[in-house]
Order: sequence, then structure tokens, then C-alpha cells
Amino acid sequence: MSKVTIYSTPTCVYCRMAKEFFHKNNIQYTEHNVAEDDAAREEMVQKSHQLGVPVIDINGEIHVGFNRSELERALGLK
Amino acid sequence: MYDLIIVGGGPAGVAAGVYAARKKIKTLLIAKEFGGQSLASADIQNWIGAKSISGFDLAKNLEEHLRAQEEIEILDGDFVAKVEKSKGKSFKAVTESGKNFEAKTVLVCSGSHHKKLGVPGEDKLNGRGVVYCSTCDAPLFGGKTVAVVGAGNAGLEAVRDLFAYADKIYLLVRGDAMKGDPVTLEEIKANPKLEIKYQVEVREILGEQLVTGVRYLDKAKNQTEELKLDGVFVEIGSAPNSDLVKDLVELDERGQIIVDHKTQMTSFSGIWAAGDVSDVLYKQNNISAGDAVKAVLNIYDHLNKNK
Ligand SMILES: Cc1cc2nc3c(=O)[nH]c(=O)nc-3n(C[C@H](O)[C@H](O)[C@H](O)COP(=O)(O)OP(=O)(O)OC[C@H]3O[C@@H](n4cnc5c(N)ncnc54)[C@H](O)[C@@H]3O)c2cc1C
Repeated sequence: MSKVTIYSTPTCVYCRMAKEFFHKNNIQYTEHNVAEDDAAREEMVQKSHQLGVPVIDINGEIHVGFNRSELERALGLK
Repeated sequence: MYDLIIVGGGPAGVAAGVYAARKKIKTLLIAKEFGGQSLASADIQNWIGAKSISGFDLAKNLEEHLRAQEEIEILDGDFVAKVEKSKGKSFKAVTESGKNFEAKTVLVCSGSHHKKLGVPGEDKLNGRGVVYCSTCDAPLFGGKTVAVVGAGNAGLEAVRDLFAYADKIYLLVRGDAMKGDPVTLEEIKANPKLEIKYQVEVREILGEQLVTGVRYLDKAKNQTEELKLDGVFVEIGSAPNSDLVKDLVELDERGQIIVDHKTQMTSFSGIWAAGDVSDVLYKQNNISAGDAVKAVLNIYDHLNKNK
């Protein structure tokens, strides 16, 4: 099974879309709210060199933003 | 061959899709995504029929309403790169993924996009401190120093979003006055975190991995200066997504598609446009939906006449 981590903020719609996509496809994920969790924010920036959410880590592969077909591919759904 | 291709999945495109399906017009709707620009809005309070709805839920409702129609084909996740003239009076829509579709008529509901500054460093640092969605990303700038570029309402809103997080916020204004709502302006001016700089023209966004600052022209002093920053929020308005038909239809000086406001017809017979991509005076969800309905009813008449 894929190890999925999402770095998000509560106000970001694309984060919500990504999480809804995970639910629909029965994908387990860990979520870090980087609006509150400074350590997670640093980790996100380290991993992705990004300062924008969502950042999604699938088995160590970093995806920036919510792109359904890209995630389907990364998770082997299609 | 379709009777109609609708481009767009915002309020205009979806309203058009629902009406086209109910009129049994053989239709294909192509949308990059559903919901349109207000997707990012936390709370929309003027979508008629809903006292308060998030952009996310509005997008879901729109998509559901469209998918409930049996008489329509939907291609989502793809993007119409170009609409071309095809054989006879028909048109060909070419998508980003290389697909081709033909139709007798086209309705362009492609909306508009966030304008970029168009300065060096901006693209490279997009998502690395350069931000176009303040509601989404303001929380990432806790304890940081940031600048908001743009003095319209969107700029003022971004400043407000940032008060809760950033330590210091510069508002960079190109002219010597603000354009946004005076009440909001008074409110934000009272906050000591804010410093407004007038007569500023951003020339470059600085940074390698992440934003470290901006270089700008101080027009009053006619001197180039630098500011140290962790983030740059770009809020300088929007521009229409009219590229796909720019070789066929007449556009105004801002790139908006000129339409006949009675029928939504463009200057090119067989192509209609509605919503924010058109030269409609007021850009609103309800107006976009209504104008698109107008367009479909007119397309229906046109198709019947030209059977
Ligand atoms: C943050 C924000 C908050 C807002 N709040 C409000 C509000 O409270 N009330 C209100 O009335 N208005 C609000 N607006 C304005 C409102 O969102 C717009 O007027 C409305 O979205 C315009 O609808 P539209 O369908 O014309 O275009 P858009 O909403 O821009 O939709 C265009 C659609 O077409 C798709 N698309 C674009 N080009 C292509 C292509 N080439 N091929 C395929 N698909 C394409 C896009 O993905 C999108 O789905 C807000 C705008 C913003 C940015």
C-alpha cells in the first residue's frame, strides 16, 4: 500500500479536493496542518522547496497542487 | 459531429450545459475543472438560492447538477487549446491532450485567470513564496515578512488574510492612490503590521530556492530599491481566457470577447461567449450563469433555423 502524506491548510480548496479524492478511492493518508504545525511546514519546504499547499508525498515522490490524473498514476489507480 | 461544444466548467459553462441538455441539443462540454474562479472563496453569500455557500460546495453542486443531465457528454480534466474553422460552417476544438472534436456551434465560457506581474523570477518562484491565492496560502506565512502587490479589493482582502499570520506586510501600490473599497481600506490602515508604499513598480522577484525579496522602481524618487521579503502575494486583477478563439472573434483592448449583449453572439457566426471571458460589464456568478443561458437559448434558435 502507498504511504501518503498531505501538507495542507484548513482554507485551501485544492487540499479538500485531494482529501476527498483519497476518501473516494479508499486511500489512507496522514495530514499535517501547516498553518499550525511549524515543524511540518519546515519539513514540507525541505521536501518540496514549495511554499504553497497542497504538497502531497506519495512513497517519497512529491506532488505539488491537486492534479487528479497525476495522483491516479502515482497511486496505481489507473 | 456535435451541435454544440461548450468550453468551461464554471457557473457559465455549467448553466449552459444544463440548458443545452434539457433542450436536447447534442452537446459536448469540455472543462479543465468544475466550479470556476470562486472555488477558492471560503464563503459566497450572493449565489441566489443559497444564503451562504463555500466555493468548494458551489463547485460540487454545479458538477452534480450537470452530471444529473442525461443528454450531455462531458470531458473534464482536459483543456481546449484552440478552436478552428473546419469544413463548411463547422468548428473544430483541439484539446491539450491532442483530442479533436467537431461541432456546428461553440459557446466559450472559459472565464478569466489571475494576472501575473510578468517580471523575472515570478515563474521560477511560483509556489516558492510567490502566491496567487491568499486564502489558500496566507497561513504558511506565520511570523514572516511579505508584500501584497495590487491595491484593488483583491489586494486589500489579501492584506486582511495575512494579518492573522504575517509579522509585517507591505502593500505595494503602483499609483499614488488605492482603488479598493474605502471601508476595508480604513480598517486595514489601522493595523500597525501594514506599511503602504506608493509609486512602486515591481521589477523583479528575488530568490533562488525561495523568495528573498523584490527589486522595484520607486517612481517618486526614480530610483531602484530592494525589499527583503519571504513572500509576494500578486493581486493585480484578472485577464480573460480568450486565447483559444483569438484568431476568430473580435476582442476588446483587454482581450475580452466582444458579444452582442442581447444574444451573446460573437463577431464570428457560430461562436457565442458568456461569463467573465466576455465583455460583460459586471463579473459575477449569477450574471455568468444567466448570460450563458441566454446564449444557449439563442444557439437553440440558430440550430433550428439552420437545420
Ligand atoms: C476569490 C474570488 C471570489 C469571488 N466571489 C464572488 C462572489 O462572492 N459572488 C459572485 O457573484 N462572484 C464572485 N466572484 C466572481 C465569479 O467567480 C466570476 O464572475 C465567475 O466565476 C465567472 O464565471 P465563468 O463561468 O464565466 O468563468 P470561470 O469561473 O472563470 O470558469 C471558467 C471555467 O472554464 C475552465 N476553462 C478555462 N479555459 C478553458 C479551456 N480552454 N478549456 C477547458 N476549460 C477551460 C476553467 O477551468 C473553469 O472551470 C469571485 C471571484 C474570485 C476570484
